[in-house]
Amino acid sequence: MTTAHTNTMHTEVGSLEVTDSSARQIKATIRDVSKVYRGRTQVPALDNVDAHIYDGEFLTIVGPSGCGKSTLLRMINGLQRPSEGAVEISKSSTDRPLTSMVFQDYSVYPWMNVFDNVSLGLARSGLPKPEKHSRVRVWLDRLDLGKFESAYPSELSGGMLQRVAIARALVAEPEILLMDEPFAALDAQLRRRLQEELLEIVGDAGRTVVFVTHSLEEAILLGDRVLVMSARPGRIVDSVDIPFDRPRDPELRKSPEFRDLEERLWLMLKEHATATA
Amino acid sequence: MSRQNTVLAIATPVFFLVLWELAALLGLIDTRFFPAPSSIARTGVNLVQDGVLLESLAVTLRTLMVGLIVGNVIGTVVGVSMGLIRPLRASLDPLLSGLYTVPKLAILPLLLLMLGLGEMPRVIVVAIGSFFIAWISMIEATMGIAHGYLETAESLELTRSQRLRLVIFPAVLPEYFVGLRIAVGNAVLLIVGVEFVMGGSGIGSMIWNSWQIFATERMYAGIVCVGLLGYVLTKLVKMIARVAVPWSPKSTSRRR
Repeated sequence: MTTAHTNTMHTEVGSLEVTDSSARQIKATIRDVSKVYRGRTQVPALDNVDAHIYDGEFLTIVGPSGCGKSTLLRMINGLQRPSEGAVEISKSSTDRPLTSMVFQDYSVYPWMNVFDNVSLGLARSGLPKPEKHSRVRVWLDRLDLGKFESAYPSELSGGMLQRVAIARALVAEPEILLMDEPFAALDAQLRRRLQEELLEIVGDAGRTVVFVTHSLEEAILLGDRVLVMSARPGRIVDSVDIPFDRPRDPELRKSPEFRDLEERLWLMLKEHATATA
Repeated sequence: MSRQNTVLAIATPVFFLVLWELAALLGLIDTRFFPAPSSIARTGVNLVQDGVLLESLAVTLRTLMVGLIVGNVIGTVVGVSMGLIRPLRASLDPLLSGLYTVPKLAILPLLLLMLGLGEMPRVIVVAIGSFFIAWISMIEATMGIAHGYLETAESLELTRSQRLRLVIFPAVLPEYFVGLRIAVGNAVLLIVGVEFVMGGSGIGSMIWNSWQIFATERMYAGIVCVGLLGYVLTKLVKMIARVAVPWSPKSTSRRR
């Protein structure tokens, strides 16, 4: 049942034929995905995108604005459907949601306090209430929100709000965590703080994360692998493995290897920034 | 600062009342049309004492509340539904938008023709007026919900009922109360108008009768009473809103 579907398919793959334990298992496959927005004129957003997401990797996607990287993320989340091609995700657990998304903004509801906002991540789970509460508390504490659990979002800063959004996405223990430029609206300082916090949270657990950003530095610092996309209509230009070990020190930014990598990616982006525009 | 504001807020009307009182006392204005505030107050106190005023007020208030609640509930349900369901919007919007501009008092004769002279036509006029205000504010509020809120709900895979209860209703609640406040003022206007025309024992007819028998003080007392009614009801809605919308940023209170 994995073929011949033109829409997002969340397929069950019981056993993968991978026997070599060192080989990377494929968690999700983006197969020949194209997207055309049909309005007065047809706007092609994605053009034959082919990619894998490996189990347990932190994949970052960079590209010029409007290249369809957010669209791609939304397709993985099931919010949008490809015009052609398919997104296939192998499900490995029945009680965890397949994906959770952290949006750039407007995702923390102002009418709920922090606790209730985070609990929403478990709205569809069948967990008993006490279990839900204790899991929410765990994530509130991990993101330093414990003291603010009964505060309303209007009382919080932008950085706090994104922490709430992240806690909400993680509380459900999704198989894939999707993040759509989650720090783009924050000032530079906060952005760095949250990047470092994210490194700590994600660094340990071998989570599968797909993180869209337009910051190369962010992509390198956080990612195991960077997908570089071209300007609209978005195509995958290259996939670059990031050689730095985890746990990573944010000081890494200053190393020459880091700078070289950033330069390399930048040249790649520049070359394809206006390819078809 | 805010204390100074309070003082000013009270002092200004008091100043004008004193001015009015003096002018009446000194014969500078015709007390047949502009009786001194003190004599209006005296008449008001008498009217309260012999129960006339409160009785009229009770009659008016009852009609007003029934009409307001019925109209508001139906208008809210229709408005939110139309905001959410496109075919419903497409089929009802032109019709309702057209009817909206018809002055509500203009249909009173029609209602009288159909329903006779009872309580019903009064309630219905108020209900229709309240319906339209709730409808218009709720359809706008529902359609104006930030796309991101809805997309988040979709991403969280909330059920339909969770989406309504946890996202859509709270999202439109602040606008609901704004609409309700406007509806209250509008309902007072309508009920007084209806009572002018239809008579009966409400406060509107008391005002109307007073001018016909040239009981100016009584008329003024009635006008003040209606004004207070509107004020108290609006204040009440504001208070309920503050409790029901605890998340609204404190900045909604006006700048000092």
